[in-house]
Amino acid sequence: MTAKRLGWAVAAMGVLLACIYLFLYAPIFYVIYTSFAADIVWPFPPAFSMAAYGDLFTSSLYGDALRNSLVLGLGSALLSTVLATGGAIGVLRHRSRWRGLALGLFLTPLFVADLLIGISTLAFNARVLDLPGNMYSAIAANAIPGTSFAFLIILAQLVRYDWAMDDAAMVFGAGPVRCFIEITLPTIWPCLLGAFLIGFILAFNNLEISFYNLGAIPTLPSVAWGSLRFGLGPELFALAAMVNFIVFAIFGVMYLLMRYKIVRFGYRETL
Amino acid sequence: MARGSVSKGGLGTSAMTGIRSSLARRGQFRFACLAGPGALFIVVALLLPLLAIVVFSFWRTESYELYADWNLDNYRVLLGEPAYRIFFLRSLAMAAAVSFVCLVFAWPIAYFIAKHGGRYRLLLVLLLAAPFFTGVILRITALQGLLGPIGLVNMALAELGIGPVGMLMYTPLAAGLGLFYLFVPFMATAIYLSLANFNFELLEVAKINGARPWRAFVEITWPLNAIGTAIGLVLVFIPCLASALTQRFLGGPNATSLGMSLAQQFGETGTWALGSAMGVFLFLASLAGILVVRRTIDLKRAGFTGALGA
Repeated sequence: MTAKRLGWAVAAMGVLLACIYLFLYAPIFYVIYTSFAADIVWPFPPAFSMAAYGDLFTSSLYGDALRNSLVLGLGSALLSTVLATGGAIGVLRHRSRWRGLALGLFLTPLFVADLLIGISTLAFNARVLDLPGNMYSAIAANAIPGTSFAFLIILAQLVRYDWAMDDAAMVFGAGPVRCFIEITLPTIWPCLLGAFLIGFILAFNNLEISFYNLGAIPTLPSVAWGSLRFGLGPELFALAAMVNFIVFAIFGVMYLLMRYKIVRFGYRETL
Repeated sequence: MARGSVSKGGLGTSAMTGIRSSLARRGQFRFACLAGPGALFIVVALLLPLLAIVVFSFWRTESYELYADWNLDNYRVLLGEPAYRIFFLRSLAMAAAVSFVCLVFAWPIAYFIAKHGGRYRLLLVLLLAAPFFTGVILRITALQGLLGPIGLVNMALAELGIGPVGMLMYTPLAAGLGLFYLFVPFMATAIYLSLANFNFELLEVAKINGARPWRAFVEITWPLNAIGTAIGLVLVFIPCLASALTQRFLGGPNATSLGMSLAQQFGETGTWALGSAMGVFLFLASLAGILVVRRTIDLKRAGFTGALGA
């Protein structure tokens, strides 16, 4: 009887998960749908047009914005993943009386809202360093919360990591760097990739931090913000739709890889 | 070389302590190399700017310029003006409510992914994060398009003859729904990351010993994953407390938040000193929220091996 009731509970959780996915993706589908609509203000009843996609490729503003967003996202994700990997390994592997302090520092950004990071870095850059808005300070500022997220993700995975393998490699004379590349990295790469991906997404689409640090450099969110005054341009919907097509394609490939067990992404059958 | 000195000196002599201290020093050095850059980065990029905000909050702005004459006027305005108090209390209530609702929804879905996701677990978690590839503004506008007066939901209801539902248009409820939409993935992911390290066999042990599923959850699963819950609560509460965009688009006139007002000080009105004071206030409120989370949730048992050690 208990097993049957548990079965119901599992089914209910599954249905809830499906509902949450539906809720999360409804606006995404709406964006995709609207990108094909002839009139984005009155998208119903449907009237389709590809005009938005044509305009997207002829306009230079969106190309620049996309490029800047990509640079910002990749730079920030790289910086935060590198810093967080070092931090997580250091905190887990080496005893030090500074361990608690380091742990606290790496987690501090979680306690500071994006808006606050944005305005404080703006105030610091503008009034203390006398620095105008630029891409480097935007990358650094976006990497602040990115580092925390990456640190958490990597830490959660590394807790299970067996350091005896590294010790074994060291006994056989491998240096710390070689040991990391040949032993640690092949095991933990999925979580580094996850941390990088999260850092990228957050920085790519960040408005509140980037807005205050970039000055006049356009990124996708700032272009969206700027165009709100006249109503969002249909090109933005088209661009978002294309980004989502790519994401869905990647997920499709991941599903196939998992389905046919070509890549395990860190999953072990015995767990 | 180190090994040689051991064999000469024997165990428990000064040579041994020498090795131990040199090993410890090497550990310290490696620790500094690994964790140092990140820690330094946080200090320079985050703590110094926050310190600057604290300093500026005691200064004065006049026609968009900051002047360094120390005073408490900003705080006096902030505490004296009823409008700011309302914005603050409203943001606080909203953040608390959204955090709670996110918690209630995130636990079952994170549990389902961790326990029953099988080899698709990573994909299922990434599916929670993928909406972030679309910008916040676009998603909020799309939500507006779905929920708003001419949105899909209300059009469908009108077709059915029920008429538009006012509750979903420009009300605090709509803003809350928007915040839930934006932040439930954070909560679910945090809880999932904790559950991914949770040994589900403990539940089998509980079952063998006669515990009902609910009791096993309350006594084992929940306390051992309290760290995930706590991190999730922080990840939702802090940005909700500061949120400005969602309220602006979905909330209507009765949802003006602390974040909106704060952003205004650094934008339109250019009163940086007052804005800084609001920032300090926001930070203190966030800290208070975190302390409440720490008080309510017992983190002592939340270690990854808590039950095994006890």
